[in-house]
Amino acid sequence: MVKKNKHYRPPGKKKEGNAARYVTRSQAIKQLQVSLGDFRRLCILKGIFPREPKKKVKGNNHTYYHVKDVAFLQHEPLLEKFRDIRAYRKKIQKAVAKKNADLATRLRTREPNYTLDMLIRERYPKFVDALRDLDDCLTMVHLFAALPAVERMKIDVELIHKCRRLSHEWQAYVARTHKLRKVFISVKGIYYQAEVEGQKITWLTPHALQQVLPDDVNFTVMLTFLEFYETLLGFINFRLYHSINVSYPPILDPQLEALAADLYALSRFIDSNVRTSVVESSATSSSVSEHGEQQGTALQESELRLAQLQHQLPSNEAGALMHLVENVEEENEDDQDTKECKKLFKNMKFFLSREVPRESLLFVIPAFGGAVSWEGDGAPFNEAEQSITHQIVDRPTQGHRYLSRDYVQPQWIYDCVNARIILPVEDYMVGRIPPPHLSPFVDNEAEGYVPDYAATIKRLQAAARNEVLPMPGVGKEDTNDPQNLLGESFVSRTEDLVAAEKKQKIAALEKQYHEELKMEVHGDYPSAVSKKTKHSSEEGGETTEELVNESEQVAKDDGLLLETVMTRKKRGLYKAMKIHEKRKDARNSVLKERKKKLDAEKSGNK
Amino acid sequence: MRVSRNDSVAAANSKEKKSKEKTTKAKSNRGKPSREETQLHKSEEEAEEENFANNVKELLVDDDESQDDESLSDTEDGGSELDDEGSASSDNDQGSDDGDGNEGSESDQGSDDGDENEGSESDQGSDDGDENEGSEPDRGAEESDSSEDEVPQRNTVGDVPLEWYKDEKHIGYDIAGKKITKKDRQDKLASYLDNVDDSKNWLKIFDEYDDEEVEVTKEEANLIRNLLKGKAPHAEFDPYAPYVDWFKWDDAKHPLSNAPEPKRRFIPSKSEHKLVVKYARAIRKGLIKFDKQKEEPRFYMLWGDDSSSSEKTGHLSYIPAPKSKLPGHEESYNPSLEYIPTQEEINSYQLMDEEDRPQFIPKRFESLRSIPAYENAVKESFERCLDLYLCPRVRKKRINIDPESLKPKLPSRKDLRPYPVTCYLEYKGHKGAVVSISTEASGQWIASGSTDGTVRIWEVQTGRCLKIWEIGEAVHYVSWNPLHELPIVAVAAGRDVFLLNTGLGNEEVQGKVKELLHLDMPAASDDSGNVASSWSQDNQHGGIKLKHFKLRTLTICALTNWLRESKAILIHQLSKKVTQRLPFKLHGLPVSSVFHPTRSIIFAATKKHVRVYDLVKQKLIKKLETGLREVSSIAVHPAGDNIIVGSKEGKLCWFDMDLSSKAYKILRCHPKDITNVAFHRSYPLFASCSDDSTAYVFHGMVYSDLNENPLIVPLQILRGHASSNGRGVMDCKFHPRQPWLFTAGADSLIKLYCH
Repeated sequence: MVKKNKHYRPPGKKKEGNAARYVTRSQAIKQLQVSLGDFRRLCILKGIFPREPKKKVKGNNHTYYHVKDVAFLQHEPLLEKFRDIRAYRKKIQKAVAKKNADLATRLRTREPNYTLDMLIRERYPKFVDALRDLDDCLTMVHLFAALPAVERMKIDVELIHKCRRLSHEWQAYVARTHKLRKVFISVKGIYYQAEVEGQKITWLTPHALQQVLPDDVNFTVMLTFLEFYETLLGFINFRLYHSINVSYPPILDPQLEALAADLYALSRFIDSNVRTSVVESSATSSSVSEHGEQQGTALQESELRLAQLQHQLPSNEAGALMHLVENVEEENEDDQDTKECKKLFKNMKFFLSREVPRESLLFVIPAFGGAVSWEGDGAPFNEAEQSITHQIVDRPTQGHRYLSRDYVQPQWIYDCVNARIILPVEDYMVGRIPPPHLSPFVDNEAEGYVPDYAATIKRLQAAARNEVLPMPGVGKEDTNDPQNLLGESFVSRTEDLVAAEKKQKIAALEKQYHEELKMEVHGDYPSAVSKKTKHSSEEGGETTEELVNESEQVAKDDGLLLETVMTRKKRGLYKAMKIHEKRKDARNSVLKERKKKLDAEKSGNK
Repeated sequence: MRVSRNDSVAAANSKEKKSKEKTTKAKSNRGKPSREETQLHKSEEEAEEENFANNVKELLVDDDESQDDESLSDTEDGGSELDDEGSASSDNDQGSDDGDGNEGSESDQGSDDGDENEGSESDQGSDDGDENEGSEPDRGAEESDSSEDEVPQRNTVGDVPLEWYKDEKHIGYDIAGKKITKKDRQDKLASYLDNVDDSKNWLKIFDEYDDEEVEVTKEEANLIRNLLKGKAPHAEFDPYAPYVDWFKWDDAKHPLSNAPEPKRRFIPSKSEHKLVVKYARAIRKGLIKFDKQKEEPRFYMLWGDDSSSSEKTGHLSYIPAPKSKLPGHEESYNPSLEYIPTQEEINSYQLMDEEDRPQFIPKRFESLRSIPAYENAVKESFERCLDLYLCPRVRKKRINIDPESLKPKLPSRKDLRPYPVTCYLEYKGHKGAVVSISTEASGQWIASGSTDGTVRIWEVQTGRCLKIWEIGEAVHYVSWNPLHELPIVAVAAGRDVFLLNTGLGNEEVQGKVKELLHLDMPAASDDSGNVASSWSQDNQHGGIKLKHFKLRTLTICALTNWLRESKAILIHQLSKKVTQRLPFKLHGLPVSSVFHPTRSIIFAATKKHVRVYDLVKQKLIKKLETGLREVSSIAVHPAGDNIIVGSKEGKLCWFDMDLSSKAYKILRCHPKDITNVAFHRSYPLFASCSDDSTAYVFHGMVYSDLNENPLIVPLQILRGHASSNGRGVMDCKFHPRQPWLFTAGADSLIKLYCH
């Protein structure tokens, strides 16, 4: 007997189901007639990913692509472009082989290249979509901005400069619009979180140190990603800069650029640009209003000016006026968060010493409304300036001190930013080990373990809020309300507990009474007697323990009973959740144990 | 004029004289160049060449002073000549300035002089010089330049070999004709000492002719050095100066070669033509572009108004990649101390499985400056890339709810009281596991059977053991007659079924029982032939014994006093003392069976299914699909429309006979086998007991309204029995009147749970 194929399909019958809907990668490559490398590149650029069919027709060890995805790739003009480029390369090769240097150089000057603009538009039809997907992009660009240029890995200097530039532009925008929300220094680098157009964007920048390039990394893949990301970030920056009326790409002060103070240069550029554009627009509006009275030449002039501004401003004069108004409104429209962030370091002046991470602080401090300077050329003010309130220092001891300012470690800035209040500087003084730096991305309550310092910060925050609130009566109510509630709930809970205990006691007594009754009823019954004696002996010492055990047992039983009625699906879900909870509890208990041990040690030392 | 200058050059380098002459001739032979050109050439070159000549002259004079007479005389001649030349050239300068007239004569002269000998030429040159001497303004300067030449020679002896004066006391005569006496010669020692003492002594040279020591200047020393090396002697001379062809070739009367010009000079080159065509074509095609492409701004407003973005991407739904995890407290550079694992814990990580091992071990740095670079930065980024383009993405719904909300809303248990809650009594006495119990219809007595081979009757209220039968074999099952009037107990032990008279009740009752249990021997023997059981009087216990081949369970029906047990299902009719075999095909091994409480229907459970038969019509009514692996027990609701089925995998199925052949509800309550299930006769309660030594009590309300589904609420878990040999609670039965539950445990106890 002929063994039947597992997925037997009679001849002449079309494929159906998963077999028709999914193809393996090698099938896809065959269909597209590209090399594996090109296929990968295309997938990365187009954002095509393998899918998981319900039934893997070809086996478990294949990657499956949806047929529609493959068709989508097939219609991509980039595919044709890749082929062209390949053919063109061959042309050059041929010219070189035939020693036709003239032709080869001529061909090289006109190599075809491709742009990814349309791909970006296609993948992110709305601007918000692009922002939503920006995390990886920013992380990658920032990473490459910190990498050394290595010819062997095809990381050229130009690329790295481009990355640096893009990342600085992004940071300048975020700082300028005060969109930065959270900063976290981890061992891996510095995490930033900004909120742009309602999207939370988190990215990681490596520490400004020499990066290691491992050998087991395929840089071609990374560079393909970077190629896309870099274009994406360019367009996003363009759009963002236009939204604040700054021309893009920004033209930087070459002197500052040379001093590696790109960020400062950028912020200066933005400042100047915004101001001029506002002034200009006001000028035009005034000129427009006086339009009728003006002489012919003046008229021409103003018209010319209008034409110049046309690309910057909405088309007509009304639009220009509107724009002005909008600008003002925008300032007002800032959400609560932005307002808060803007004011955090207001009226404070910072000076950075040489050893602190300048790039990061130059980004963070202005983003929260502070003024910064640093040691070196091109700085806006120098160390001797009297109005400096804080000097950021990261060294064991500080030699010369100005009395008018505080000398703090850089962590103070980050902690202030995360707590949104100005923390007391005592703990962050020079030479001290600063308090723990906590992650702002963790919800302590949900996690179930609140580190000590988090609690301290919370208290400080509450205190600060009380102080700041304009109407004391309202404020008090506001702040007290939840506390009251909390207190109430707490009281009620304790009451419950007491009541429960009482009940248990009563139950125990009842039980005892019953037992005694029983004893009386069948007085001659030996087992009851023995049990009673046993019971009494136990009860002498362990009544409370038993009670606890019993209540526990009851609770457990309740759970079990409920579980019996649940459907299988829900039961599974419930169990999974319980397991998760258990794990979390285990984690927290480990932390608590360690904490207890540490405290014990501390007290022992004292 | 040119000739004279040419000559002067020749004079400067006496060895080249001849060849220069030749060239001069050749040049003169060639035709005359256009005048103006020549003029220009001259004026440019003159300055240079003048300089050169002067320098050379200097050199030679200095050099040759120490050389032999011949060269000396040569030099002298050259010197004078050079001097003359200088003047001449300056004159030439003037001439060119003056105009053409003078020039014309010059050229004529040049051409005329072509064949004249050298001597006359030089003479003429010198003459010229003399003529112009007065008029020349810069003459003085020239003179001062060559002032060394003008120093009168001390010795006027002339060009005679100095050997002739070797033995004389004088070396010659001065200008006045007096003898010049020889100076004393230094002896060798003195000269050596001088040499040692004076570091510059090596620069001194003795001039034999003038009998004096001359010190060589630095320039001169350099010059000598250059000469020795075979370089151009003067330091400032540029041997690689661009060659200026000052000869007017066009003026030549005769060509150098008489050969006719080849044809190829007159026809355009084919290869060049090809090349031109190629380029032209390339240009026309636009392959070669001369103007550089303007760089367009790379970025522009890609997203205009978002309102226009209604165009949907016409393909599959895009699943955005999940964002990478945000860092927790432990990733901080300065985490709280409790986040840092101790050394022991870190060591214990090594023992863990590769996959369980934590990827990241928290570390603490005391200041920001001490953080090192993170070595996995690139690698992690790369892994993220791989995840993005290689991992299949599936949209998964993450349920973010409180787990407690998953639990069904049930009516409060308080409202469902009464139900058995606590253990009230224990009945002790059996030596082995109590396998089966049964309650008497009035609820006053219970019967229990144990593996120790005894059947006991207990008083419920007091726990007093009323009666004990020693059956001898392990008891499987005991059952009271559901009718109160006939207190008979049926016991299944070993392969036999015993019908025992309990001896309860008044005499009238006892009489009835005894009559019922009396057996007519012949009738029984008739049946035993074709049926699998035989009736016999059991005198030892005072009852009837039924022999079987194999026996499993046994039930007594209330209505008809029928008994039934298995292999196939046998029905024994006590009133007629008859055994019947159920006339249905069972499709599997029968596990358990019950009678319908009011109608003549039997529910027979095999391992997988429950079949419902009508005994009167003798036909299959329904087949219930339990979906269980192995059914262990079955019980019927007192109304008869609902049954529960317990299974060996711990599941309890509730079947509503009116609803469907599938279970209405499956309760997964016990982790181990369910040994028995029971309904309460009057309260809406049912219970299950299991080998995990617990019994569950449920509220099972059946409504008379058919539209309403039965309500099932789990009420209580009854614990108390200990497990022995892996068996827990073997049987459970409700009290017929009270909401009490009796459980029989493998630990040889019977317990009563009350509300």
